Amino acid sequence: MNSPRNKWSVLLAAAILQIAVAGSVQAQTVAIGAIVPSSGPFAEWGRSNTVTLKMLEQEVNKAGGINGAKLKVIILDDATKPAQAASSLRKLAGDEKVIAVAGPLTSSAAEVTFPVANEMKVVSMSQASSKPGVAKANRPWAFRNTIDESILAKSTVPYYKKTFDIKTVAIIFDAKDATAATVGTKIMPAMMKDNGIAIVNETDPLSFNTGDLDVSAQVTKMKSLNPDGVVLSADYSQAVTVLREMKRQGFIKPVVGATQLISSAILKAAPELPIVAPATFYASMTGGLAAPFVAELQPMLRKESGLPAEIEPSMYDANIYEIVSMYVEAAKKSGVTGKPEDLEADRTKVRDYLVKLDNFKGLGGPISFNDDGDAIKAFYVLQGQNGAWTTKVQGCSSVPGHPAC
Amino acid sequence: MLLQQLVNGVTLGAVYTLLALSFSIVMGILGILNLAIAELFMIGGYLGFAVITAHLSLPVAVAAGMAGAAAISAVIEKIGYEPLRDAPLVTPMLSTLGFSIILQNIATNMWGSDPLQLPDEFLGGRIALGPVSIGELQLIVIGVTIVLVAVMAYIVQRTSMGRALRAVAENRDVARLLGVSGSRITLTAFMMSGALAGAAGVLIAIHYAAITPYVGVEIGLKAIAVMVIGGTSRIWGALLAGPLIGIAEVLTVAYGGSQIRDFVVYGFMIAILLFRPQGLLGGSGADQGQRV
Amino acid sequence: MSTYTASLLADVGILTLGALSVYVILATGQLSLGNAGFMAIGAYLASYLTVVAGVPLTSALVIAALCSGIIGVMIGFPALRLKGIFLAMATLGFGEMIRSLFLNLEITGGAGGFHGMAHVSVTYVWIWVGLILVLVWLMESSRAWLEMRAVADDETAANLIGLNTTMTKIGAFGMSAAVAAVSGGLFAHHHVYIEPGNFGFERSIDFVLAVILGGSTIGAGSLVGAALLVLLPEQLRALDDWRPAAFGALLIIVLLIRRQGILDRSLLRRFTFRKQAA
Repeated sequence: MNSPRNKWSVLLAAAILQIAVAGSVQAQTVAIGAIVPSSGPFAEWGRSNTVTLKMLEQEVNKAGGINGAKLKVIILDDATKPAQAASSLRKLAGDEKVIAVAGPLTSSAAEVTFPVANEMKVVSMSQASSKPGVAKANRPWAFRNTIDESILAKSTVPYYKKTFDIKTVAIIFDAKDATAATVGTKIMPAMMKDNGIAIVNETDPLSFNTGDLDVSAQVTKMKSLNPDGVVLSADYSQAVTVLREMKRQGFIKPVVGATQLISSAILKAAPELPIVAPATFYASMTGGLAAPFVAELQPMLRKESGLPAEIEPSMYDANIYEIVSMYVEAAKKSGVTGKPEDLEADRTKVRDYLVKLDNFKGLGGPISFNDDGDAIKAFYVLQGQNGAWTTKVQGCSSVPGHPAC
Repeated sequence: MLLQQLVNGVTLGAVYTLLALSFSIVMGILGILNLAIAELFMIGGYLGFAVITAHLSLPVAVAAGMAGAAAISAVIEKIGYEPLRDAPLVTPMLSTLGFSIILQNIATNMWGSDPLQLPDEFLGGRIALGPVSIGELQLIVIGVTIVLVAVMAYIVQRTSMGRALRAVAENRDVARLLGVSGSRITLTAFMMSGALAGAAGVLIAIHYAAITPYVGVEIGLKAIAVMVIGGTSRIWGALLAGPLIGIAEVLTVAYGGSQIRDFVVYGFMIAILLFRPQGLLGGSGADQGQRV
Repeated sequence: MSTYTASLLADVGILTLGALSVYVILATGQLSLGNAGFMAIGAYLASYLTVVAGVPLTSALVIAALCSGIIGVMIGFPALRLKGIFLAMATLGFGEMIRSLFLNLEITGGAGGFHGMAHVSVTYVWIWVGLILVLVWLMESSRAWLEMRAVADDETAANLIGLNTTMTKIGAFGMSAAVAAVSGGLFAHHHVYIEPGNFGFERSIDFVLAVILGGSTIGAGSLVGAALLVLLPEQLRALDDWRPAAFGALLIIVLLIRRQGILDRSLLRRFTFRKQAA
């Protein structure tokens, strides 16, 4: 009769012991979460993000960790599915007790994940989302280490106009991609008007869908309207298709777009076609912390089995590196303990530190955040041609004179 | 511009034709939708890429794409279809979906998720015909498509294998009584279907010069629409329906409707199903659709 | 229960409803590959009602279900002309058309998506799932269900013995559309943001997959299938880069081992029998 009860008490004791052990281990580590798309259509970005974060984790721990505690970065794959990104945040914040979360990557995922961040009261910061207003709608816990496309376009378009003497443009965009569609239907048309550039297909928007192979009809149509230049609003992997078709049809005109265009892949699509786009980081960037970052990360990326052999660190790798570095700095300077009982306080400390962040040393220059939760940081208007990006204009996503610029 | 757009439409249509034919061989004989065809197309494209960048000729690339895709298709038939032959049609359809997920994953892990691009030197020249400019590769795409459709039509209508295929399509049990091995014919049908998808993949990859692991998804759904419009049991139907849809798409874009393009294509497909269920060229119709 | 588990359970509930919407049509022998279209209608309509018109959620879901049901009936009439895989392809086209429609519909945000919904708890989701499961269970033991099965087994024979096969098939379409709409409305209010990309072919296929994997001969099968589809990818995280392939392989294996689905009546009887014995 007594034996089952005995068994239970032994089990109970073991459980208590386990909790105690776990507790003491947890006190020595500070956990930071990350949500990246390691499978699905953006697998490459998620996988290189993962390598970047593992590198950073090692760096931080080699340098003594966070106030004596070890840094642990817990990375979850969202398979490029918004619902999985949101449940990943719940897992990281609820089960893994992280002090802050880096990611998710896409705007679609950020739209469903940021509200969860507010519900759970934990910082979530996207490394790539640039669809206007996504963080703004989910204050105070949502942040993005990116600049809103409407701010970037204010520097990109005047440079584009001046350099190529543009008076008319045709606009083409990816209608299925929320960011690209917003840029193509709202931001760019307004910006063209502000700069006195006529849109030849103003009443007749030209679009294609993510995954479309054939855009010959759209390009033929643009060619027949004979504009001075082309606004191409799409993610670079889709933009490649349009650029190739332009090249095939001999429609060689300067192209302008948003940050989504920045990648080394796009330069191979049609090297003779000049491409103008803004970026906060690119692999061949010189000066500051960027070059050592690339030098350290690139060989690691190229060694990784699931990644192509000639891969370069992307802007999203730089952004997520900065995000977790900011969290580490916040944890160090605001006295995050990593103890389970301090979790809520720790999370608030990280957020408050970010809000007041001043002059954080990012890879491309100092970083702070505006009231919308978007980054104030230096950016560059790049021109890509003949296989390389070159910086043409340096800008900053805030009023001139701000310390971050 | 109109003439140029028609050329664009016909090229796109040629690719639809090949893929639609690939769907309809399995569909016409076995009545199942092989959802992995879109991925066989994708794998064919990557194989073609590999051959072309190794500086081998286009025919070799097409052959490699066809052989590779046919081999994978055979595996799909053996594992995913044959054991489920007697199950309701929806079951083997979902097992082919499993293969499509696996193939996408393999391609992502092997070649990355970013577009793989063909170097400039392989882009090919252009021929100007008055106001219209046609790429050499466009002509090749259209030419190879016509040849392949003709070969398929010949095989299905004139050879003993074709007769066996049609017999199994008509009635598997009766065919067996007549000494036709159902399982062998099924395997043949899957391999022929795979080879066509592979050929389409190579042509597309080289013509558009960029490919990703997800390249087959959208075009695969469109090809299903083309198959329906052409009629699932008529080889030549696909040759008519492919360019028809290609041109319909291109003209929708040209005359201001690029955003409603998919709406038009699928609307057209539903209209055909409702009002001419046997497809444009006739043949056995939707009223005989097998049970799911 | 951790919030992570809760959100997965909510996803299971939403997918269960989507699967049930396919199950109801499948009971009459028809396959729908476009139910994500009805889900989209429900999601957008319910969200528009709660966010813009200020209608309470439960009423909004009921209205969305009714409207979608009516659309389902309207679609059902022309669909009568089609059978088997041809009907499946027509529904596929319908689903893609609806997605394309919302992509271009400005009042619901187009490609930019729609937000502003209030988050609903997992409990609320499961009250709906429970209600609809009970409804389906009641139906399964009704005369109407026998008629549906008769239509599925042999439509001509069903006609000959005087069953109204037209009414049965159209009724199934209407009910299916209504259930899918509830699934969509709950999805929208659980994730508090929707965009047309949420409701593509992949979603329609997920519904079918849940029914077939879980068991297509019994309503509770949809629940089992949905749980499998949501929870399995979470269990495969250790496989990293090969997670999707492992999922695909397991999918094929389950189909090969249990083509009738994981749950069927004989399995259910065995379980209940054992429970009584114990």
